Amino acid sequence: MGRYVVRRLLQMIPVFVGATLLIFLMVNVMGDPIAGLCGERRCDPATAARLEKEFGLDKPVWQQYLTYMGNVFTGDFGTAFNGQEVTELMATAFPVTIRLTVIAILFEVVVGIVLGVVTGLRRGRPVDTGVLLLTLVVISVPTFVTGLLLQLLLGVKWGWIRPSVSSEAPFDELILPGLVLASVSLAYVTRLTRTSIAENRRSDYVRTAVAKGLPRRRVITRHLLRTSLIPVVTFIGADIGFLMGGAIVTERIFNIHGVGYQIYQGILRQNTQTVVGFVTVLVLVFLVANLVVDLLYAVLDPRIRYA
Amino acid sequence: MLLDVHDLHVEFHTRDGVAQAVNGVSYGVDEGETLAVLGESGSGKSVTAQAIMGILDVPPGRITGGEVIFRGRDLLTLKEEQRRKVRGAEMAMIFQDALSSLNPVISVGDQLGEMFTVHRGMSKKDARAEAVELMDRVRIPAARERVRQYPHQFSGGMRQRIMIAMALALEPALIIADEPTTALDVTVQAQVMELLAELQREYRMGLILITHDLGVVADVADRIAVMYAGRIVESAPVHDIYKAPAHPYTRGLLDSIPRLDQKGRELYAIRGLPPNLMDIPPGCAFHPRCPMARDVCRTDEPPLYEVTESEAGRGSACHFWRECLHG
Repeated sequence: MGRYVVRRLLQMIPVFVGATLLIFLMVNVMGDPIAGLCGERRCDPATAARLEKEFGLDKPVWQQYLTYMGNVFTGDFGTAFNGQEVTELMATAFPVTIRLTVIAILFEVVVGIVLGVVTGLRRGRPVDTGVLLLTLVVISVPTFVTGLLLQLLLGVKWGWIRPSVSSEAPFDELILPGLVLASVSLAYVTRLTRTSIAENRRSDYVRTAVAKGLPRRRVITRHLLRTSLIPVVTFIGADIGFLMGGAIVTERIFNIHGVGYQIYQGILRQNTQTVVGFVTVLVLVFLVANLVVDLLYAVLDPRIRYA
Repeated sequence: MLLDVHDLHVEFHTRDGVAQAVNGVSYGVDEGETLAVLGESGSGKSVTAQAIMGILDVPPGRITGGEVIFRGRDLLTLKEEQRRKVRGAEMAMIFQDALSSLNPVISVGDQLGEMFTVHRGMSKKDARAEAVELMDRVRIPAARERVRQYPHQFSGGMRQRIMIAMALALEPALIIADEPTTALDVTVQAQVMELLAELQREYRMGLILITHDLGVVADVADRIAVMYAGRIVESAPVHDIYKAPAHPYTRGLLDSIPRLDQKGRELYAIRGLPPNLMDIPPGCAFHPRCPMARDVCRTDEPPLYEVTESEAGRGSACHFWRECLHG
């Protein structure tokens, strides 16, 4: 197990370098890093040259990348062009997004798995068909439509929630945005759990559990659920990374100043340091989440042993 | 009589129609007795067992008639919760493929211990100790260490021993073993069968041994019930059947056993295929394949005639059982 973790951590290095290099190149080479600095106008050549020298943009790209990565590992993500430290932005943005992600994951786990188990056990019955249709609708309607619609109905028309989240973004105000963010994944978790449950329900070991005279509840929770959740856990784990970075749409709708919002602003204003910094952290989150999933896999299924 | 199955009927409702899987099966098992139920795949022997255990998939399965009298009460009239308490505790089942029948993600110790925590309300620690003792009893070496392991870490024979241990856990009065050795290597088969027979004698349990292996039957069974198309076609003490079968199907089965003195000759096989359970032939279900079939076999369904020439209760569902017995 220990050796496996070390190997996996080593494998992360090339992936991390590749991913960050790619985003670095896209922003620094294809874009114009100083475009956003002089307001609406283009910078005059003299200022541009001065700025380029100041930010080290006159050096070759590989050298810029190395300098940047070197700084990152000392905890310095650079300064956004408005003078704010990128780490400072992160310190305000990540807690908000993490809260949002936690809520979304909770929705996926609780609602998704419960619905999946219920429908999986009652395959072909009205509940099953109803939920299945609902998930299909959720999957096919884009998030910004669901989000705006719920915001309009619950927030503006009926006044149940605040239509826009306040700057501290406390948990209770993030419930609806969390649900919106989770919606599509929630539908997938439901369907995945349903299929898995329905398949394993007919398995020999479930029949054995029944023949042992175990109560139905125990048969389901202990014998059926554990094996059925293996694929679901994989999906949810991979989804963590996705939710953290993919909240751009949801955060825009509900005016949440999280990671997605900052990246969006960064891209809009060609704020290189912000974009590269945030994406670098997200890449790390992705990698770690995937490692955790793989390790969790071995916990859930003892047939998988990493050596 | 420990278990008395009377006129049991089971159907399966599928998209293509209704399959008549069990059509009036009656058999009984006494304490300490071994009844072997023989038959080809699809003869209804496993379905009968599942109906007795109460683990039939309902739907598509449905018990449409009959009684299962176990220790004086009809199990089919019990509520599910009462039924559940009988399962595992008073009657237990051993399945064919131990690898797929054991939960792959729960340690064998927990799967064995569960019997004690659920049925006896024991603490986890005591249940674990019982599990180790059970594994010892079915002669799994190093039980104390291996109790933490998972099914895939055991060999086929050892896994089947764990299944047996699980069935024995609460010392049930009746064990139903559904082809317990079919999935095992031939050398291991004998060991497992011996162990099962030995434990059965020790606990004086009734044993229903479902099999299609006539070799296994001769050594361990007291009585044999031969099933065909969801009916019992012959029922007799084991020695009577081997001496002289009273039904042409039983004769066909016996003749299909490869024998050393017939080396080099073509193996005998019953011609044709078992009937489609959605469309069982009228009259005697075996008549299309029967070498002795006559007109009456095509129209009249034979009852289970009492074979009067045998002293112990013996029955044959053949109009011409006398002829078969002497022929």
